[in-house]
Amino acid sequence: MDLTTGHGARSEPELDETGLESLQFGEDIRHLITPPSENESSFTALLELPANQAVELLHSDSGQKQYPNLTFPSNTSLLERAARLSFFNGGSNSTDSSSVPSNSSSKNPETAAAVKCEPLETESFLDSSQPLVSDPTVDNSAPNARSSSKRKEREKKVKAASKKNKKESSQQEEEKLPYVHVRARRGQATDSHSLAERARREKINQRMKLLQELVPGCNKISGTALVLDEIINHVQSLQRQVEFLSMRLAAVNPRIGFNLDSILAAELSWNGWSTGPLMSKGLCDYPKSGSLIDSNFSSMVMPLMWPEAQVNGNRHQFQQQWQVDALRQPLWGREEDSHNFITPENSLLSYDSSANSDAKAIRLLHFVSNMDRLKLD
Amino acid sequence: MASNQSNSDMSSQQQEPNQQRKKRRKLTHETTESRIQNDGTGENKNQPTVRWRTDSTRRIYSSKLLEALRRSRRTTPRNEKTREVRETADRVLAVAARGKTRWSRAILAKRARFLRVKKVKKPKVTKDRKLPEREKRRKFPAVEKKVKVLSRLVPGCRKVSFVNLLEEASDYIAALEMQIKVMATLSEILNAAGGGGGGGAGVGGGSSS
Repeated sequence: MDLTTGHGARSEPELDETGLESLQFGEDIRHLITPPSENESSFTALLELPANQAVELLHSDSGQKQYPNLTFPSNTSLLERAARLSFFNGGSNSTDSSSVPSNSSSKNPETAAAVKCEPLETESFLDSSQPLVSDPTVDNSAPNARSSSKRKEREKKVKAASKKNKKESSQQEEEKLPYVHVRARRGQATDSHSLAERARREKINQRMKLLQELVPGCNKISGTALVLDEIINHVQSLQRQVEFLSMRLAAVNPRIGFNLDSILAAELSWNGWSTGPLMSKGLCDYPKSGSLIDSNFSSMVMPLMWPEAQVNGNRHQFQQQWQVDALRQPLWGREEDSHNFITPENSLLSYDSSANSDAKAIRLLHFVSNMDRLKLD
Repeated sequence: MASNQSNSDMSSQQQEPNQQRKKRRKLTHETTESRIQNDGTGENKNQPTVRWRTDSTRRIYSSKLLEALRRSRRTTPRNEKTREVRETADRVLAVAARGKTRWSRAILAKRARFLRVKKVKKPKVTKDRKLPEREKRRKFPAVEKKVKVLSRLVPGCRKVSFVNLLEEASDYIAALEMQIKVMATLSEILNAAGGGGGGGAGVGGGSSS
């Protein structure tokens, strides 16, 4: 009576007999209720309520206006179950299940109500499923995100409700929502909070392990506070080293032009890493100062003892010497600095490990000093 | 019928990117096990230990450092050379990080401070992921203090969550180690060249006269 007048304006299908329709719908709802209990014990609780509510709503007078206030989520779960169980919809299961939640979460009450009615009717009427359902999908594509979040929350509530069959519930969850990967382990609580916390703790532990690998001497220490202590000390010491090195670099910088530096670097690398030019220059041996090198600091202390003498006057002399050397080098077909800049750096600084590089640097230092004396003679 | 079906197809396509966007937001929002597993296998190259120890990184850093030092030589105050060299080195290190980490962006932002636009702060919206009924478990106060100290040490990480702070710290430590190695080698060579040339010339000059 009222139902037909309410629905007739919106939807096509044959709503002649209201009493029969409501009865049939009640029966169908009961049909819906019983089979799911075979699959899962958890959904029955959810289903019973909305079924009753839906039946009440259908029997009530004012059909449309009451819908949006009362039974949004429950009805959608009901509809979802119905769609998935595919009692009434022939081929368009997936579209139904995707369209139905989107319909449910739309803010517009009228279209939502109309849309909700239509799937309900499609469940009861086998024929009229397809044209009705495909219409609402056009309306609501944006709220799907919201609906999927709601769906997920509902899933979690369901999981919290049922403490048994944890594995099953988690599998079900993964089935429906493929992007949720939290797995409830056996014997552990499955509510959303503990799951999220457990995942977060795992993340933290992973990061701490990585830090322990980086900071030397942290592997033996156990406990977050002590490890953090070590990390803090290490960072402070590293920053102090950077400060110290920058002081040295600042002191070194004004004395040498950087053009010179590039050529020097290239020569050093060439000489240090291959013995060809060494032979050509008549130098067979250079002192190996491996014993002097223990760590960065020791190697840094050594050059400080070198005489830091004349500044600008010698620079030109030095430059000339080095440029002469550069010319003699077979590698150095091209003459000047700026476009050679990159390659010498590359060849120089392709070192393998820290200890080796330090050793090589010291060897090069000695070699350089020897070469200088030779040139001057 | 056909038009309806095509409509549904289009809407489903529209729904998919929405789902993907939501998926990505969900993954960052809520930690997941498979994501942790993925971090182990898929992100092998992005681990800080690997990233900062490659030869190419060292070469790039050292060349850029020399360039920057050379350029900064010209416009430098006479008094504070150390600080200026250190800041140059830090900036070049941040550039070498390619902006993937928070500390590198903070270092670069220090320089461009006068360009920074004042942001109007919105009232903070608390996450409703943890419902108020559940008391949030904070770490012990001892750990809290250390976390604060560490966050002060790593640039740009004052108000960062603990998880992200650990990640930033590991990357920062690896980067600092590389920086130290390069600067040490560089200063060695420069000192050697300077010291050797100066000393040798002095000796030569002394002996000849």
